[in-house]
Amino acid sequence: MTEQSRLVTVGVLALQGAFSEHLQLLRLAGVSLPIDDSDKITWSFTEVRTEEELSQCDALIIPGGESTTMSLVAERSGLLEPLRDFVKASRKPTWGTCAGLILLAESANRTKRGGQELVGGLDVRVNRNHFGRQVESFEADLDLPFLETLNDSSITREHVKPFHSVFIRAPVVEKILQPQQGIQDEEASVPETIIAPSKVAKINIHDSSIEKGVEVMARLPGEAVALSNKDITARATGDEGNIVAVRQGNVFATSFHPELTGDARIHTWWLDQVLKAIERS
Amino acid sequence: MATGLPTTNGHHPNGDDSNNFAVKAGLARMLKGGVIMDVVNAEQARVAEEAGAVAVMALERVPADIRANGGVARMSDPALIREIMDAVTIPVMAKARIGHFVECQILEALGVDYIDESEVLTPADHAHHVAKHGYKVPFVCGCRDLGEALRRIEEGAAMIRTKGEAGTGDVVEAVRHERAVRAEIERAAEILEEDGKANDATETSLRTMAKSMRVSYELLRQTAELKRLPVVNFAAGGIATPADAALMMQLGCDGVFVGSGIFKSGDAAKRAKAIVQAVTHYQDPKVLAEVSTGLGDAMVGINCESMKPGEKLAVRGW
Repeated sequence: MTEQSRLVTVGVLALQGAFSEHLQLLRLAGVSLPIDDSDKITWSFTEVRTEEELSQCDALIIPGGESTTMSLVAERSGLLEPLRDFVKASRKPTWGTCAGLILLAESANRTKRGGQELVGGLDVRVNRNHFGRQVESFEADLDLPFLETLNDSSITREHVKPFHSVFIRAPVVEKILQPQQGIQDEEASVPETIIAPSKVAKINIHDSSIEKGVEVMARLPGEAVALSNKDITARATGDEGNIVAVRQGNVFATSFHPELTGDARIHTWWLDQVLKAIERS
Repeated sequence: MATGLPTTNGHHPNGDDSNNFAVKAGLARMLKGGVIMDVVNAEQARVAEEAGAVAVMALERVPADIRANGGVARMSDPALIREIMDAVTIPVMAKARIGHFVECQILEALGVDYIDESEVLTPADHAHHVAKHGYKVPFVCGCRDLGEALRRIEEGAAMIRTKGEAGTGDVVEAVRHERAVRAEIERAAEILEEDGKANDATETSLRTMAKSMRVSYELLRQTAELKRLPVVNFAAGGIATPADAALMMQLGCDGVFVGSGIFKSGDAAKRAKAIVQAVTHYQDPKVLAEVSTGLGDAMVGINCESMKPGEKLAVRGW
């Protein structure tokens, strides 16, 4: 009998936005991921539009797009609560880019009038469309030290190369919040800020990294941004730079779009993280 | 929806990235699988946002009224565009007349997120479209066939839509234009594949085709290799129902513009939501049946077959 191959299903939320770009890079990453027992893993990369499709997934990407559209369509398609279960109760690996970062935040501001539904999972406050309108969208090279943790020497050298990133009407992480079991109740009292509803992790899932709180994975150097709006510049370009990538336990998020670059390094790193999470569970 | 756009082709075909083409084409990618709705005031813009529109098109009059009122249709009053930009957080697009580069400068100064150089307004130049590469703001342009689409892309359009026949509520022209684009891409792809690899005969045939379309060989070849337009491709012009929207998606469009179809119908909010759901679940007839139910009156519409040639807007553009 041949060795049993393990099927790992990674979904990309396909309600709206740049989901096909993520699927293309996942396929590239799935082939290039340097793992010792790669012959035992069979990847399945799939579009997710329904609760049933989500239930097949071991991990999920929430792509870039319009976060208001995605949350409204998710709600009307009966996906909002299943998504919260996936991220916050089952604690499965989830990665959000741009709009995905907004949806995965426990708190967000500058949303549409009347707010919007959030999935939550990351104890951060996100400032939506932080850099302004489309004419303020930009590209920048980022140093992403976490890519160096991929344990294959043949590609480690390449990781030193900065990651060319595209920011489109992008959000940033404005504030790291204290990890909370329930809702972010302090945030609820901040004007014009919305929060995600509480969802407690299932008892059999113990992930101490969630309690440890949010890790900052990348910052955008202040001088990388040339803003036309001087009011925003003053606040945005602090010495440390804006937080543009974070991780907390099973949830990873970036405010930029790795799916628009053709560079699959972050996808490769994340699939490796997915495998590690599956091994732990 | 169409075959996936490769992740890295958001660049000007001539390799000129100085004008942020990746960022301009990138916003269009973020709109894929979504609905862009025509709105004439802040209240309608809010209805569109609550319905789940990915963007709104700020206009003084929807195409059906432009058609009914006649006269010269121009860029909207900046006050109206600003009012709509203040009302919603989703991207706001606005229309400029074909060839009217000063209207485009004004729209860029206002900070709109996308400019539609549109045949729905009265053309300002009988021979030239706006040279779009120099702007920071991205452009969407209409097309009836592949040549027109590629000419607009060469001028700098970061997104293409079918022209359809705006303000009619009749989807037939949008279908005609989308099918024309696809048939010509297929023909180009067949030329490429005939001999399995590039040779002199292939190149000559493709060059002849490019010449007849008045586009560069390089761009036509790239399109033939991709087997799709090299930028995001939406449907527009005459879409009035969830079924129309899903039809265009199944024909290979990346998303849908709805103009008069929403706010000229009986229950605009309900129809807007239904069309949004239909574009996400365009392959699921059960969902389409559900969202098509009880929407009230669709816009009355004009049968395109009964129109005189001079009444058609799609013929504008060169």
